[in-house]
Amino acid sequence: MWEVEAFAVVRGFIEQGGDVLLVIAFVTAVMWTLILERMWYFRTGFRHDFAQAQALWDARTDHSSWNSRQIRRVIVSDVRVELFWGMGMIGTLVALCPMLGLLGTVTGMIEVFDVMAAGGGNTRGMAAGVSKATLPTMAGMVAAISGMLFHVQLERFAESAANRVSDNLEMFPEQSS
Amino acid sequence: MRTLLTTLLLFFVLWPTAALLAEETASPPKASKPQPRSLDELLIMVSEGYETEREINRRRVEEFIKNRDHQERLLADAMAVISREEAKSQILEVEYNENELAIGTSQARMTERLGELGELFGVVRQVAADLGAQTWNSLTSSDGGSQQELLDRLGRSTELPTTADLEKLWLELQREITKQGKVSRYRTTVLTIEGTQEEREVIRAGPFSAISNGRYLLWEPEDQLLRELGRQPPSNHLDTAESFANATTYFAKFSVDPSRGGLLLALIDTPSRTERVQQGGAVGAVIIVLGVVALIVGVWRWIVIAITSSKISAQRNSETIDVNNPLGRILEVAERNANFDTETLELKLDEVVLRESSKLENFLWLVKTVSVISPLLGLLGTVTGMIQTFQAITLFGAGDPKMMAGGISQALVTTMLGLIVAIPLVLLSDTLANSVRKLIDILDEKSAGLIALRSEKDNVGG
Repeated sequence: MWEVEAFAVVRGFIEQGGDVLLVIAFVTAVMWTLILERMWYFRTGFRHDFAQAQALWDARTDHSSWNSRQIRRVIVSDVRVELFWGMGMIGTLVALCPMLGLLGTVTGMIEVFDVMAAGGGNTRGMAAGVSKATLPTMAGMVAAISGMLFHVQLERFAESAANRVSDNLEMFPEQSS
Repeated sequence: MRTLLTTLLLFFVLWPTAALLAEETASPPKASKPQPRSLDELLIMVSEGYETEREINRRRVEEFIKNRDHQERLLADAMAVISREEAKSQILEVEYNENELAIGTSQARMTERLGELGELFGVVRQVAADLGAQTWNSLTSSDGGSQQELLDRLGRSTELPTTADLEKLWLELQREITKQGKVSRYRTTVLTIEGTQEEREVIRAGPFSAISNGRYLLWEPEDQLLRELGRQPPSNHLDTAESFANATTYFAKFSVDPSRGGLLLALIDTPSRTERVQQGGAVGAVIIVLGVVALIVGVWRWIVIAITSSKISAQRNSETIDVNNPLGRILEVAERNANFDTETLELKLDEVVLRESSKLENFLWLVKTVSVISPLLGLLGTVTGMIQTFQAITLFGAGDPKMMAGGISQALVTTMLGLIVAIPLVLLSDTLANSVRKLIDILDEKSAGLIALRSEKDNVGG
């Protein structure tokens, strides 16, 4: 029974918040999919990529020539590309959420003033507009804050992982070991 | 000497006075009156005048005395009339008071005998007035046949309604009930959007909504006409009107206006999408133009970058060098300068990479800038709109929200437009920047790596 109730609650929320809330929900869903995908990659795929890069590097006999230096750059850059895939999009979506909230505020306020211009003191009509103005703002804020927290953490993790990879591909293994 | 002077002076002063007196006493024909030629003559004229004057006065007195007797007689007559009329008035007053009493008792007897009939009279008046107002404002009147004069007469009259009237009122109520309960199809005059009156087939669903030619109509009580709505409801409701008109089944879907025209009227007041955009004013127009330009540029760059990207990945997988893409051009430079030492080659490569990456980044600044500027422009519109609003408040006071509506809608619409333009552009510019960065990474790092691999392969092969 609780699923039905939850569905009713969500539907009521969306009805009160208007169409902008749907867009925010979509953006948030995409954002969280990307965040979860990154977390999953850091847990599983990255280890595999790391090992592969390491193997590729260790397979070379020559580690210090100009050619090797370029190839190392290629390997590290490949890992970086994998690590940072989608991070830019997460950042963009985080930035979009408050904007969408503001859009909802403005469209809601337009509705309020429409009611006011049409005939003064229809408080109930105005309240519908006000809820359309405030709910998307709140939703946008919540989505942006939650996304922001994870985005920062993910970036830090990706950066440190990339550094770890480049540290492990040693230029002069003969001397260091 | 002195006495002579005084006499002369007196003479000169008195002469005109005497002349004046002579003129006044003289009879009207002035011209015929001889002018006195000397003082003696004047004296004679004055004495003559005195004589005639006395004669006239004497006659006047005689006449007056005669008249006085006559007036006294008249007065006596009038007095007699007054006393007679007063006596009559007293009699009438007594009669009036008696009648008043009689009326009072008669009225009391009447109300007593009316009893519940009086209440019925009130109810009939009220019902007639209510029904009159209702049918006057109702769509059902478009069907014709409502007896507005009868209802008006019953609603206003101060007399007891006749049995025939009562029966007619009952009939009217019954007719209204039947009409409201029905979906009916009939021909009637419709005021079209062009302003002409046309005889059309109309379908009316009870007292709620009427349609003709698949368009909603509104009842105009003043003209007792159906008017075609200039702005029709959204298509999902309009479609039901179309299908309802052509319905062949017993049940059909149809959007009615339960407020009996109120919602349709509100529809006319709410501005359409284009009107809404026009409320944004000059700032809104600037935002839209900038947004469209940036969107076109962004899409164009997107296509260019996608093509370049696919060419680059093709180049990475192919052995032959093709100069139709940046990576190919870099590899070509590396190939051409293969005999140089690595330092020089790297410098040369850096140069080419810089050139190619600047080519890729072309016009991206435009998309980026517009995506940042458009919310700012929206804010500008907000501020100018609020300035308008406050000017309106200064002029007309804050009592009428309609006076402020123009500025407020400008403020809100520009903000909305700014955001609507900014949101896709932010996405677009970030996507473009990301893919360009990726391509430059490839050019920057992988080109060198590819050269290295190539040279190694050559070494191994050679």
